[in-house]
Amino acid sequence: MTRSVNPHLSSDDFDALLEGAASQEAHAHLDACAFCREQVAADRAVVTRLESLSSFAPSPAFPDQVMARVAVPDPFALHSFGSAGRRMFATRRSLAAAASVAIIVVGAMAASVIWTLGNRETLAAAGSWLGGEAMSWLWIAVRGGAANLMEQPWYAAARGFLGSPTRLAILSAAITTVYLGGLFALRRLMALPAQGGAHAHA
Amino acid sequence: MTDRRAALAAATDQEVVALARTGHEPAYRELIRRYERPIFSLVFRMVRDRELAEDLAQETFVKALNAIESYRPEFKFSSWIFKIANNAAIDHLRRRELDTLSLDGSPHAETPEAMEATALQIGNRLESPLDAVEAKELGGAIEAAIGRLRPEYRSCILLRHVEGRAYEEIAEILNLPLGTVKTYIHRARNELRQSLAHLRE
Repeated sequence: MTRSVNPHLSSDDFDALLEGAASQEAHAHLDACAFCREQVAADRAVVTRLESLSSFAPSPAFPDQVMARVAVPDPFALHSFGSAGRRMFATRRSLAAAASVAIIVVGAMAASVIWTLGNRETLAAAGSWLGGEAMSWLWIAVRGGAANLMEQPWYAAARGFLGSPTRLAILSAAITTVYLGGLFALRRLMALPAQGGAHAHA
Repeated sequence: MTDRRAALAAATDQEVVALARTGHEPAYRELIRRYERPIFSLVFRMVRDRELAEDLAQETFVKALNAIESYRPEFKFSSWIFKIANNAAIDHLRRRELDTLSLDGSPHAETPEAMEATALQIGNRLESPLDAVEAKELGGAIEAAIGRLRPEYRSCILLRHVEGRAYEEIAEILNLPLGTVKTYIHRARNELRQSLAHLRE
C-alpha cells in the first residue's frame, strides 16, 4: 500500500470495501476521509447499476442454428471403440456403476475358482448326483408324454394314416412348404418400404 | 425423458462436457442453454449490434462445440467459452476500427482539405428501425457509459460486475496478468463513475 505517499485508499482497498472484505485500517481511514467515503459510495452505486443489468437473449432459433453447424460424433459408430470407454467415464455415477459391476464379476469369478480348487471331490459328487437326477427326471417326462399321447382318441387313426411311407412323405413335404411360405411372407412383411414409392392418393 | 433432462440440468459443466464428447446431443444443447444468454449479452454489449452479436455468439458456440475434444477439463468450461467469445468480439472491434480509419480519408492525403475530399460519407448509425430497437435495448445511461469504455476495460468490467466472474478467472479468460485486470477494472469503474456523475447530482 502506498498510503504514506498517497493520503487516500488504494485501488485494492476500494475492491476490498466493495466486496465487504476491507481491513480495519481501511475502515478507519474511510471514517476520517470524506473524499474516499464519497468515492466508495459512487463506486458502490456504479457496481449496483452494473449488477442490476439484465441479460439479453438471442433469437429462439439460436440453439438450432448452432447445432446445424456442429458435428456431433456418432455414439454408435463401429470405428469409435473409444466412445464406449469415454461414456463409461463420463460421469461419476456411470464410473461408479461400471466399477461396481467389474468388482462383482471379478470377485465372483475369483471366489468360484478358489472354491473349486479347494472342493474338487465335493464338486465331482455334486455333479454326478445332479446329472443322475436330471436324466431320471427327463426319462420320466418322456415316458409320461408318450403314455399321454397314446391315450388320445385320435392316436390310432393318426398312426394308421402315417403307417404308409408315401403319405408320410407327402405330409412332410406339405409341412415344409407351409413353413417356407411362412418365412417368405414374414420377410416381405419385415422389409422396409422402398424410397419414393407410389403416391396412391396424390 | 424428463428425469434425464433434469439429471442433465443438475450435472456440472465438466460432466455435461464429458457426455457431449461421447456424442450425446442433448449434452450439446444443455451447454448452449446454459451459456447462450451470458455469451450473447457479453458480445452484444461489446459490439452493440444485435445481428452481429448473434453471428459472433453463434461462431463462438460452433467453434467451442466443434473443438470439444480439445477442451482440457482442468480449466473451467465457462472460462474457455468466454475466452472464445471475447476474442471474437475484440477481433471484430479491431477490424472495425481499421475500417473506420480508412473511412476518414486517404492515408496519402497531406492536408485536412484533402482528407475531407477523400473521406467517405456515411449516414447516422441510428437511422434504421433495427438500430432504433438496439438503441432502446442498450439505451440506459449505464449501457451508454459502458459503450464508451475501451474494449479491454469493457470486457473486464462486464465479466466482473455483470457476469460475476472472479479476478483470477477474468485474467485467465483475457490472458492478462492479474494486476492488469485489477487496474483495468479500477479504471473502468472510475470512467463509469465520471460518466454517471450527473445522475447522482
